Amino acid sequence: MPSLVSITLFLPLLGALLVMALRKAPAQVVHSIGIVVSGLTLTGAVLMWSRGVNETGFAQLEQFDWMPAIGAAYRVGVDGISLPLVLLSALLFFVTFIYSAKVRERSHAYVVLLLLLETAAIGTFTALDAILFYVFFEVSLVSMYFMIAGWGHEDRQRAALMFFLYTLLGSLPLLLAILGLYLGSDPHTFDMRVWIDKPPLTGTAAMPALVAMLFTFAVKTPVFPFHTWLPAAHVQAPAAGSVILAGVMLKFGTYGLIRFALQMTPGAFRDAGIAILVLGVVSALYGAFAALAQSDLKRLIAYTSVNHMGYIIVGVAIAALALDPAIRATALDGSVLQMVSHGLVTGALFFLVGMLQDRARTREMDRFGGLLKVTPLLGWSFVLAAFASLGLPGLAHFPAEFQIFLATLRVEPVADVVILGIVITAGLYLKAISRVFLGEPREQWAGMADLNVREVLALGPLLILIIALGIAPAWVLDIIHQTTAALRF
Amino acid sequence: MSLIASAILAPLSAAPLILLLRRLPAALALLGAGVGLLASLGLLVDASHGIGDALILPGLPDLPLRLVATPLTALLSSLVAVISSLVLVYATGYMKQDSEKPRFFAIMLFFVSAMQTLVLAGDWILLLAAWELIGLASYLLIGFWYRRPGVRSAATRAFLVTRSADLGLYIAVFILIAGAGSSDIATTLDTGGRAAVAAGLLLLIAAMGKSAQTPLHDWLQRAMAGPTPVSALLHSATLVAAGAILLIRTAPMLPPEVLLAIGIVGGITSVVTGLIALGEPDLKRLLAASTSSQYGLMLVAVGAGVPLAALLHLIAHAAIKSSLFLGAGVFQHSRDSTALTELAGAGRDRPRIFAGFALAALALAGIPPLSGFYSKDAVIAAALASTKAPILASLALAGTLLTGAYMARTLRVLWRGSGKRRDIAGLGWMGAGLAGLVILAIFLGAAFPAVERLLSVRLPENTLAQVLGLSAALGGLALGWLIPARRLLGPLLPWAQQGFALAGGLDTWMVRPALAVARGCEQLERQLYAGVLAVGRLGLGIGQAVRRSDDRVIDGLIFSLARATVNLGHRARTLQSGLIHRELAVTAVGTVLIFVPLFIALLIF
Repeated sequence: MPSLVSITLFLPLLGALLVMALRKAPAQVVHSIGIVVSGLTLTGAVLMWSRGVNETGFAQLEQFDWMPAIGAAYRVGVDGISLPLVLLSALLFFVTFIYSAKVRERSHAYVVLLLLLETAAIGTFTALDAILFYVFFEVSLVSMYFMIAGWGHEDRQRAALMFFLYTLLGSLPLLLAILGLYLGSDPHTFDMRVWIDKPPLTGTAAMPALVAMLFTFAVKTPVFPFHTWLPAAHVQAPAAGSVILAGVMLKFGTYGLIRFALQMTPGAFRDAGIAILVLGVVSALYGAFAALAQSDLKRLIAYTSVNHMGYIIVGVAIAALALDPAIRATALDGSVLQMVSHGLVTGALFFLVGMLQDRARTREMDRFGGLLKVTPLLGWSFVLAAFASLGLPGLAHFPAEFQIFLATLRVEPVADVVILGIVITAGLYLKAISRVFLGEPREQWAGMADLNVREVLALGPLLILIIALGIAPAWVLDIIHQTTAALRF
Repeated sequence: MSLIASAILAPLSAAPLILLLRRLPAALALLGAGVGLLASLGLLVDASHGIGDALILPGLPDLPLRLVATPLTALLSSLVAVISSLVLVYATGYMKQDSEKPRFFAIMLFFVSAMQTLVLAGDWILLLAAWELIGLASYLLIGFWYRRPGVRSAATRAFLVTRSADLGLYIAVFILIAGAGSSDIATTLDTGGRAAVAAGLLLLIAAMGKSAQTPLHDWLQRAMAGPTPVSALLHSATLVAAGAILLIRTAPMLPPEVLLAIGIVGGITSVVTGLIALGEPDLKRLLAASTSSQYGLMLVAVGAGVPLAALLHLIAHAAIKSSLFLGAGVFQHSRDSTALTELAGAGRDRPRIFAGFALAALALAGIPPLSGFYSKDAVIAAALASTKAPILASLALAGTLLTGAYMARTLRVLWRGSGKRRDIAGLGWMGAGLAGLVILAIFLGAAFPAVERLLSVRLPENTLAQVLGLSAALGGLALGWLIPARRLLGPLLPWAQQGFALAGGLDTWMVRPALAVARGCEQLERQLYAGVLAVGRLGLGIGQAVRRSDDRVIDGLIFSLARATVNLGHRARTLQSGLIHRELAVTAVGTVLIFVPLFIALLIF
């Protein structure tokens, strides 16, 4: 009997095989399969959540031999850093399937790709074997490439290719680093737990490995100046693709940053801590300012991702630099929670922009106006998500950013200049709300329909969780904190 | 449920109920606010008997959230509850004709509960959260009529200015938590040394934003775009009060240099915004400038080291200023405008409303026995007793003089002249709310000794302060009534009417640089993107070059090799002519050619 983790991990893959087998099935059936399978996966993730984690490392482990000759095995499990991301992924895929139920164009391929992507995403977060991790990490690229190229907007081919080449080339250094860690471990193994418990590379050997990993994860996260693929990919991707890309796949970068870079080369990470911190601060501020200059709503949200992910880099760098374990735990708590918050908030925002684009066929802010009157449900949902994104207390980003900034002040007070970002994001979101939703409604959009049931079902869970996480972050932080408080490096 | 939770949850739970039911919004709002009021008064009664209350809620790891009812917080909570309930009574009439009542009342209740959270917060995280949430609520209320021109920029500006200043609170909170290792406000008040100076100055910045102190006073006047009950609430016991409340609560921690800075900021604000009020042609904007000015006086009291005087003025001002706004709202409905030129004689049309307005105006000016006299007296006495008396007291007296002048000017405009009177719907409710507040504005002074007992602090008695304060108030009233503002201000008039904006104000110093940086980033962004594309093209170019070289060089070589072979074949074919004798000759020559080297090789080795 396979473990709960493996069932959750491979359910979407089985669903994909089922859809491939049912080649003649109508689109509705195919979408129903997608919704049911992702719903079951979500149930699996919730059950995993209810089993929780433990303080001594990874929980809910499963392992069997795969390539014993080289020390690679099928190893999966979760801790307080990965479990919230598994739950987040399962939830985002579930609501994405609901949102996508309208797709009639090659729906078989669409559902298969999304289900494959779901297995790849959950696999990336649960893999405890470096080879397994790398396989999932790369498979996700392929699926996302076809999502963008197949169902994207005007200039999708170029954006898809750029995304694919950028992140593919970006991930090669990680492979080198993995090989380095493998060769450094004694006996040779790809077991990530061994690498974490006893970092195989130390001293000067660790630094090149760290640099290689940093490069990969900086492209993935993305961090300035490696972020140029992101706006292009987001703008061209279909709404569902953007939600998964921003909500789930960007977290591969920051998750990898903690799991690989921080945990497997902690000494080198500390040595390079200031440089990484500077990178995070610059990235966060740059993303905020670049977003402020946008007139395309989707690009604007894409750039705020650079801003929010920048805070995570800051948090991880502060965790590496902190000498006091309590401060380190605070910084990492904030960073991991920020990943969850960003997934929920940005997911909701990309859905909303997608819904706007479905109706108006444009994303230019200046072409809208007064929509709060015409589509109140859509308008107020956007206001809620936007205020969450600008870090308003009581909504998801506040507890995460508060912890990151608090830890930053205690370790490197100067770096707290990054907090300027919350004013700039406030400015750009208020500008967006004002242009799109306030003012007198335009004649042109007078007949625009408000959200329908499908859209409410897709958005509702995200908005409810945004509030729940903002008011009572403890239900997620307790899981995260169990692991971060016990980390020793 | 505990009283402390009810004070917050009663209004909060009524808000979604109103949105869901969409019926009887005003009744539900009054019910929610009423239950909250009872809970707050219960807390106050308990506090007066020495019973405190506290509630600890789960928050961040190791940083729980706390609500505490101390004499000070219970008093503030009651103030918020009383004023907001009366404003809601008034709003029942004021909003009678509005089609979006549910949204209005829901946000108002949300606002009230956020403010209750702020005053009852016992830890910094909850205070910071409530601080930002009242910012959100005021954004939504100022932008309530979001379809009207000018409203969205007013709402956006109010939120952005206060949020920029809020960064001060964020950093101050981090410093205090880092220093004390706890987010409990009471614990962090022991902070001393450089941390206290830094945190104190940062708290001052946050308070300047919320309480609209110079140079951040501009947004408050623009915030008049919202419905009048909103202004009445914003300016009295809620949003704007938060800044002063923050400084009153942290006063025990503040070192002398910070106190001096607070006093000077407050004093300058009370004069600058007093001048603005004197030159202002719009009634609601005049009252808004006056709010900044009065909060300036409270900051003077905090700076002089007597936060109790600031608290008393806050209480008196809350009742007075909400009365003034509610009166102004009636005049606005009756003339459909808030411009003073349009309002000429509006008071004479409605003598009872005018009487309430005038009493509140005199109270604000500081005429005995109205409440403002006692509180202003306390402020001036505090300034006189401070070590920096020459600066603080002269600024406070100037502020008092200006208060008298602009209130007299307003009363004169409202009483003189004439205009068209219009009937107003819902006047009963409006009158009831106004009456309640005016009664408070008149008699609250009598409760001040009880407040002193409650907080166990005595105010300094000072006859000189009473004399000086009263003469400044009377002098101001006389000046304002007798001499037109134009002549009083003289060359300052155009500057005052621009709000004393420093070289373009906020736009020049904050918005434009931010937008310039944003444009710079966007340009860099384009270049980066072009750079990546160029690298991509370079790759493609190399690929094409390789293909071309394949075509020409390698393929060429291969093809020419092939051609050479074929040619060789052709030549070889000519050898095979089919003529026997030639074939034999070729064979013989070939055999010789093969065997000769073989022989030679055998001979050598």
